[in-house]
Amino acid sequence: MQNFVTGIMMLALTAGLYIIYLRNNRSKLKKAIQKGSKNLIQNSIRIFAIFVIIGILQNFLSKEAVSNFLIRFSGLKGVFAGAVTGAIMMGPVATGYPIGKYLLENGGTVALASSFLASWVMVGVISIPLELKNFGKRFTITRNLFAFISVIIIALIMEVLL
Amino acid sequence: MKKFLEEYIIESIICIIAIILIIFNPHKVTMGLTYAVNMYVNLFLIIVSVAFLSGFISEAISPDTIGKIIGKESGWKGILIGAIFGTFMVGPTYVFYSLFRNLIDKGAGINVIATTIGAWAIKVQWIPFAIVLLGWKFVFIFNLLMLLSAIASGFVVAFFSKKEY
Repeated sequence: MQNFVTGIMMLALTAGLYIIYLRNNRSKLKKAIQKGSKNLIQNSIRIFAIFVIIGILQNFLSKEAVSNFLIRFSGLKGVFAGAVTGAIMMGPVATGYPIGKYLLENGGTVALASSFLASWVMVGVISIPLELKNFGKRFTITRNLFAFISVIIIALIMEVLL
Repeated sequence: MKKFLEEYIIESIICIIAIILIIFNPHKVTMGLTYAVNMYVNLFLIIVSVAFLSGFISEAISPDTIGKIIGKESGWKGILIGAIFGTFMVGPTYVFYSLFRNLIDKGAGINVIATTIGAWAIKVQWIPFAIVLLGWKFVFIFNLLMLLSAIASGFVVAFFSKKEY
């Protein structure tokens, strides 16, 4: 529902911008629509491929199986295991929180739950090809590497503070 | 066909993997494909908007305008705009990558875009739900640290990838 409402708002904004700024300039309007259509086809193929991987991964690796695997690790090993698993699994924020709760309730450390949750939303192994295509090697590698290091630091700080 | 395969090499590999997996476990792969279709339909309006907004920006907005608002020189104002946008927007970040690339081409700061992507990890609208599950202390510290990391990420990524643009 939230996606639908945001989608409608974004679509209205886009249509409004086209009408206000491009209605009197036919050539720019045509070019913008052509580029938009090309973007739509390219993005759809790439984004759908990511959805396919996430869908298949979620069905082959259930949340319970992943959680039960992670609980076996503690200390620094736990932080790394959580960070690596979160980076591979990757998903919406809302689905990550229940997994974090499950980990904490079943004996997982705060650092393990934090590293898994942070990596789940900050590092995107599955979307790296798309990131590379759009932003290039340096941007993608630096951003994901920095995010991964941040995940470890966040997890350690969380463990100390909570 | 050859051009298509060159352009979409990763996507073609994913397609082949899905076909191989479907032989071994058709049920799970079908469920995965159903998830993918549902996600696409669910985000369709956002995907369409992002595509046409990119088209609009590349034709109608001048680099000067983008530069002033979220350019390298926009300083903390640009970073703040990026962080707020990333925090409040819905849908996966990668749906917006082509739009972000377009904005960089039009003069947006790499630091602003990297901060936006980093801040995407925080979803203000889901915080009440997170507090119910994990407690306010966990959620507050966790999100604060992610916000700081997103801002730091902007500076680090901009520093290391300036040669690329």
